Amino acid sequence: MTYFMGIDIGSAYSKGVIIKDSEIAAYYMISSGANYRTAAETITLELLKQTNQSQENINSVVATGTGAASVDFAGRQVSEIVCTARGINHIFPQVKTVIEVAGQSSKVIKINEQGKVTNFAVSEKCAAGSGRFVEVIANVLRIDLKDFGPISLRSSRPVSFGTGCAVFGESEAVTRVAEGIPKEDIAAGVNLALAGKITSLAGKIKLEEPCAICGGGALNAGLIKSLEAELHIRLLVPPQPQIITALGAAIIARTSS
Amino acid sequence: MNFAGVDIGSTMTKVVLTDTTDKVLSAIKGPTGPEHRQLANEVMKSALEQAGLQLDDISYIVATGYGRVNVPFADEQITELSCHARGVYSIFPNVRTAIDIGGQDAKCMKIDKGKLIDFVMNDKCAAGTGRFLEVTAATLGIPLQDIGDISLKSTKKIQISNICTIFAQQEVVALLSRGEKVEDIIAGLHYALASRVATLARRLKIEPDVVLTGGVAKNSGIVKAMKESLGCDLLVPEEPLLTGALGAAILARENYVRAREKGEALPIKSRRLDKATFYNNGS
Repeated sequence: MTYFMGIDIGSAYSKGVIIKDSEIAAYYMISSGANYRTAAETITLELLKQTNQSQENINSVVATGTGAASVDFAGRQVSEIVCTARGINHIFPQVKTVIEVAGQSSKVIKINEQGKVTNFAVSEKCAAGSGRFVEVIANVLRIDLKDFGPISLRSSRPVSFGTGCAVFGESEAVTRVAEGIPKEDIAAGVNLALAGKITSLAGKIKLEEPCAICGGGALNAGLIKSLEAELHIRLLVPPQPQIITALGAAIIARTSS
Repeated sequence: MNFAGVDIGSTMTKVVLTDTTDKVLSAIKGPTGPEHRQLANEVMKSALEQAGLQLDDISYIVATGYGRVNVPFADEQITELSCHARGVYSIFPNVRTAIDIGGQDAKCMKIDKGKLIDFVMNDKCAAGTGRFLEVTAATLGIPLQDIGDISLKSTKKIQISNICTIFAQQEVVALLSRGEKVEDIIAGLHYALASRVATLARRLKIEPDVVLTGGVAKNSGIVKAMKESLGCDLLVPEEPLLTGALGAAILARENYVRAREKGEALPIKSRRLDKATFYNNGS
């Protein structure tokens, strides 16, 4: 009985991780959809299938994220910030600060050697301060989210967004497209604007290196480049940046049982 | 002598023509659209027609609003804050506080005898402006002009976040799928916007009389929600969209008369409604 599970029900995506001892045995991610409970069940079934285990063999389950309360088979609920810190500490034990760029929020979390949170700052419920801004503008530019980073890296003249609002930014992007401004310059401008918001968030707590980035935003190479330039630091990127919080939940399930 | 005020807002362009007693001779509104300059010409032309005047009959023209620099026939540009303050004062002489909710911004002004003495504004976040209702009403598929009356039918309070328009839009979809009534959702949206604007306004000391203007003031649901959020009574002009243009016309008269009395020369532009283009720098 050495299996532990972490489930992270986010606003847009739900992720699950099963660890065996301290190794990742399986992970899975789906769109959260309208029913968080269904999402949690689908993830659990898939993870059990991948590991060839039955539910009874999972020693304990920790749920986190916006929809944690919907995971009624979880033994405990733990806040995302605590889980994210723990997850990144597992991958990069030396990291002192982690930046998480998610679909509906951005967080800057300071952690100690044990992976415990010592300070944090959150930007919540503002689309322009989260990955949602990138989604909105990708839609205007009609480019795939996964291409957003690479396309933005081709830019040499990023456009400047005037307001710090995703709704106004969307109108600005439409105007720039009509003016014939290349897509890469608009995409790079979005990454720069988002990096600016995260930088001012990071300014609320003292950023310390080594520093890592996780969440869906960590898949956007253009955002990472802009953040590194704005913050004057190097960012470590884990191999599966979107499952870090679920991984942290699984590790907490193990250590607390 | 006649005067004109041209208010180029983000959403609507307004022209008011007045005489020496500040009596309104005509008032025209039209959607701004992307080509400010050409539209200003057209709205001005209709205003002149309605008043039975020629452009030459206008002694002095003041442009205001965020597109004020794009009015080639205007003699002077004055900020919309000063124009609003003056326009509201001419309608409600006891005004001390004016709140203007436009399509793309919201401002709160402290006014002393028609003069602007202090202000706060939000033009950085759509959630505190008319844009919030525009986007969310579109999600519900309901015409903007109907949402105010629909909101008044609400019997249940629904809390909707006022931090971000995009996430509020997402909440609306979730509320619909939960089976909430449209009128309750719309009322929730009205309270969300009203509380956001009230928070902005409270950065100044709110003193009566308080006047609500801007296109959003035409929405009866917002007037009700703003009264509740501010905890005070509100006066609303019959034409809440026109106070900026009206103020511009009155300031045109005042500046013109003052200059004449002092014997100063005023920089009067040529009285031609040129079809302006965006890139006409001599070429």
